[in-house]
Amino acid sequence: MTTALAVLAGGLLGPALLTAVAVVVPAVIGRIFGRLLRTALLLTLPIAVSVLVVNLFFFPAGRDVLFQLGPVTATAEGLEFALETLARIGAISGAITLFYLTTPPSELVLDLERRGVSPRIAFVALASVQTVPALVERAATITAAQRARGLDTEGSLWRRLRGVLPLAGPVLLGSITEVEARTLALEARGFTRPGRRTLLWWPPDSARQRLARWVLVLAVPLLLVARALGWLGWLN
Amino acid sequence: MTDLALEGVSYRYRQGATLALDGIDLHIRAGERVAVVGQNGSGKTTLVRHLNGLLRPTLGRVLHDGRDVARRTVAQLARTVGLAFQDPDRQIFAGSVRREVEFGPRNLGISGGELHRVVDEALAEVGFAGEASTNPYDLGASRRKLLALASVQSMGTPVLILDEPTTGQDMRGVEIVKLLIDRAHAAGRTVIAISHDMEFVAASFDRVVVLRLGRVILDGSPASAFDEGSWEALRSTYLEPPLPAIIGSRLGLGATPTDDELLAAL
Ligand SMILES: Nc1ncnc2c1ncn2[C@@H]1O[C@H](COP(=O)(O)OP(=O)(O)OP(=O)(O)O)[C@@H](O)[C@H]1O
Ligand SMILES: [Mg+2]
Repeated sequence: MTTALAVLAGGLLGPALLTAVAVVVPAVIGRIFGRLLRTALLLTLPIAVSVLVVNLFFFPAGRDVLFQLGPVTATAEGLEFALETLARIGAISGAITLFYLTTPPSELVLDLERRGVSPRIAFVALASVQTVPALVERAATITAAQRARGLDTEGSLWRRLRGVLPLAGPVLLGSITEVEARTLALEARGFTRPGRRTLLWWPPDSARQRLARWVLVLAVPLLLVARALGWLGWLN
Repeated sequence: MTDLALEGVSYRYRQGATLALDGIDLHIRAGERVAVVGQNGSGKTTLVRHLNGLLRPTLGRVLHDGRDVARRTVAQLARTVGLAFQDPDRQIFAGSVRREVEFGPRNLGISGGELHRVVDEALAEVGFAGEASTNPYDLGASRRKLLALASVQSMGTPVLILDEPTTGQDMRGVEIVKLLIDRAHAAGRTVIAISHDMEFVAASFDRVVVLRLGRVILDGSPASAFDEGSWEALRSTYLEPPLPAIIGSRLGLGATPTDDELLAAL
């Protein structure tokens, strides 16, 4: 939601305000601001830097010269556009990171099921999130086993790649063969039985959470209309 | 030939609340056959992974022939120490049995006719002579385990470490593992194995190291480790002495940890 709003609000102030209200405040309350900042920065740093450099120096409509650096010129318009884009990127990555850090996949899946999503689709969503760490762990142990048999992975980057690349196939294949075992296990426990499931535990959903969600949902069409009518000039 | 030593080694996993190893002092001379035993989670795997550098001590030192190995890579240490993993599925990756077994010796620089010879030898040892071109995924779990053993055995390293080699093996499989250990021993290699099978430990090893909560609580010959005086310590880490040891003790025959020793005493 915050993401859509950030794009719609436009300007620099809009996304910045949104990030503050919908990302920073909850993160600070939830005491995860440090982790949030670190993860979001790691995710977006490469993009952010390139956006800044490209726009600062190569903005096509740039007239107002800020400074000269060798053959390239930094323009004020470029800087402004870069900052606006960065504000949006910040809001988007902040929102996604906040969601990722606060929502255990298993709760997300239960909630999806409660909202009538088919258990199959919910399971696929859960499995795809959960296989990533499993895959990483698997790759690490397989590599360890090959190092124990003399595979050199500690030298130059090239050497490491040459050693590890042949292992990528088996790592993936191994996970695929595991799928069969998993399917059988699910089948054996009645996963494909028709009918609704009774959940023994519901993820909590407080009135405040529901209110916050509705406010955000309603804000989208409001902002759309406001933007179309040109009421948001003050944000720029 | 290589002497191995751990000096005051403690190890804590990154997410671990307690020490997986807690001040281990252990000296293993070249040519010894050492069994490492202890309940699940007592630190056996963690301990042997220090011997080839896969894990580095949080505290303390690991020495090969008296020299600290801290600066040597796992690939370098693999020339000295071959380690077969507990779970073969985490080790096997090649498309055929031969390619799997070739991988280790090839990394050590063995090639051509010599490579062919060591691979054939290792395959014959685990009863895979006619299966060089089989895909490892077509073998059952217990045979994959034997394949994993062969693929480390073929490296011919002075030290051979086997993490639970007999788990899941039927009598024939256990026999194969025992023979493999005997050969390596006859060739003067050090053999270290982790096991939960006390009969196998008593039959194939000169020395038993018992771990509990990351510490060595017993260390001695099978006769002394399975002697009645040690039973309490063994049971404190959920191990049961082998049956012949119990029978021998009941009958007042002294230390008889294996069937053969019991029969001889009778
Ligand atoms: N990767 C890891 N991260 C965190 N803790 C770990 C990890 N691996 C093992 N441990 C913990 O370290 C301790 C020792 O584990 P280790 O695998 O060495 O035991 P083990 O004696 O080999 O057990 P088993 O008989 O089950 O193979 C255990 O408490 C275990 O939970
Ligand atoms: Mg283990």
